Amino acid sequence: MAKTPDYYAILGVTRDAPQEEIKRAYLEAAQRLHPDKNKAVGETEIFLEVQQAYETLTNAARRKKYDASLPQEEQPSLPFNYKAYYSRPNLVRMDEAQMLYILLEIAPQEKLEEIPAPPLNVSLVLDRSTSMKDGKMDVLKSAAIKVMQNLRSQDIFSVVTFSDRAEVLIPASYPYDKRKLESRIQMLQPSGATEIFQGLQAGYDEIQRNVSQERIDHIILLTDGHTYGDEQQCLDLAERAAKQGIGISAMGIGKEWNDTFLDTLANRTGGSSRYIARKEDIQKFLVEKFEVLARTLADDVVLDIKKIPGAEMAYAFRTQPETGPLPIEDSIHLGPLLQDSTLHVLFEYRVDASLTKQDVAYLLRGQLKLSLAALPTPIPPFKIEFSREVKDEAGKEPPPALIIQSLGKLTLYRMQEKAHMEVEQGQFELAAQHMKNLATSLLAQGERSLARTAIIEAENIVKMQSFSEEGSKEIKYGTRALIMPQEKEQPI
Amino acid sequence: MIECPNCQHNNLDGTVFCSECGTQVSNSHSIVTQNIAADSLPLSPVDRKQTTEAYAKSLDTWASLHLLDSGQILPLGDRTEFTLGRVSEAQPIMPDIDLTPYQAYASGVSRLHTVLKREGKRVFVMDLGSSNGTYLNGKRLKPNVDQTLNHGDMLALGKLKIQILLKNP
Repeated sequence: MAKTPDYYAILGVTRDAPQEEIKRAYLEAAQRLHPDKNKAVGETEIFLEVQQAYETLTNAARRKKYDASLPQEEQPSLPFNYKAYYSRPNLVRMDEAQMLYILLEIAPQEKLEEIPAPPLNVSLVLDRSTSMKDGKMDVLKSAAIKVMQNLRSQDIFSVVTFSDRAEVLIPASYPYDKRKLESRIQMLQPSGATEIFQGLQAGYDEIQRNVSQERIDHIILLTDGHTYGDEQQCLDLAERAAKQGIGISAMGIGKEWNDTFLDTLANRTGGSSRYIARKEDIQKFLVEKFEVLARTLADDVVLDIKKIPGAEMAYAFRTQPETGPLPIEDSIHLGPLLQDSTLHVLFEYRVDASLTKQDVAYLLRGQLKLSLAALPTPIPPFKIEFSREVKDEAGKEPPPALIIQSLGKLTLYRMQEKAHMEVEQGQFELAAQHMKNLATSLLAQGERSLARTAIIEAENIVKMQSFSEEGSKEIKYGTRALIMPQEKEQPI
Repeated sequence: MIECPNCQHNNLDGTVFCSECGTQVSNSHSIVTQNIAADSLPLSPVDRKQTTEAYAKSLDTWASLHLLDSGQILPLGDRTEFTLGRVSEAQPIMPDIDLTPYQAYASGVSRLHTVLKREGKRVFVMDLGSSNGTYLNGKRLKPNVDQTLNHGDMLALGKLKIQILLKNP
């Protein structure tokens, strides 16, 4: 007998989902899977199932009957585990607000390590504007060739170049003839201005040809300049990409690109952004990025949150892999889940006194959503809760080492963030003081060269009332890199 | 409210690091930067050396620290670089190996004292400009200069004596 499909899992909603949510989930899935738009093999069948799920679940009588036919809802056996570490064993009953740090760890289950990582569908979007001249272009070319050569035969790859317009250098295809692809990349010549949207759109179109649940769809943007006037278009495109499960990562070369913009762009999709100070590092970072993609099980783990009054999520930061701050929204893109490593996100909570009147304070009610490219069956969204007991006394237990370690480094990153904000608000003295404090802490941790940069920037703030472009990026991405766990090396 | 011992900034209760200056403010006396299995050894004075070495060899690490005063062995993890020092409450300094439980303060160990690193098969020690110096087999090291380490070498961080046991001597 054929098993009835799990309509809730197909739509990606929980069993107690209200009608509006089912409708919303259906519309989203329909947009993604509609046969007019999507020609990938097998997706039409999925679309029909979605249709059926919607018809069943939106009709109250049919839904009731269907629900009765379902086996008892058991804790679904998830292909991943999650765990929350808290900085304190309990909250304290008091009349003022208090802080709580929570580190969320998501780990793939062991059996997943044996499944081969899904194939890639990657588009390299390369800036070829005039500013790329002085040798950067050559390094970029050899970096692109290097990653192209590392591709597996099941991967799909495209290269798009852009200046004030975009060209598809290598259309999305399997890398059959690597020598031909290499000579195409070699033809690249710098000229023109920087208009990132043109490039992104072309890269997005290339990805679109093969977009599929079974692949890791990703756009990698490399640029060295500001884009003018098309930022919003880029962000809108990122939004669309995120809905289709397409990730965008950005790498800025040199000092002149707009870091805030590229960070935001990448964040929309759960992608990452990096600063490449020296052109010699382009290849290393690009190869690293591809290695991460090739180990990716799920592009983007999304945390949907329902706000709880009194529990303010004040900060969210991914500490591993690919460190970076996360914008706090109703749906937070936490980032990728890798085959052999855990995803760590650190949350800072400001807990209002009103919450400590009860015996248990709930800080977060939400659900985790992810789809694993390697598994054909959809994973139902998984409910997640953060809560703490409230007691009259503070617990004696010190925070877990994991939290102390991440937080110790994160504090440095946040100090430069604070200084940036103060410069924007014209509080130059305060900003300079914070940069000096940062320098002291950096020195204490043995980060001499970063500490020196921080001191120079403190002087810049006093003299010129702003950061230098270079120093500002060096400190921002330098302190961010400190949070990254040490790479393991081969034992002797 | 918690007042930061360093800059007197008032932080909300539950804060771990001061938001103004980065100093650690939570009441955590026993933070070990890295969890190390500090197995103590039941040593008979007769073949103390032999047992120690056999034990160190049996561990799956490239090097172990033999703390002579207490007889304990600290196996190092599988990273290639370790800073040695002691965690101090008022500053966010995180040596990879916290020697506080081994009388580090009384022995004159600096917060960031020495670093041990491995490059291929060679192992080096470098003093990090500590106040009381690092001594290798009785000779004081120049700060910030790498010095090769051999199996069985004696290090002294201030007065804290440590014998280096390498997996592949």
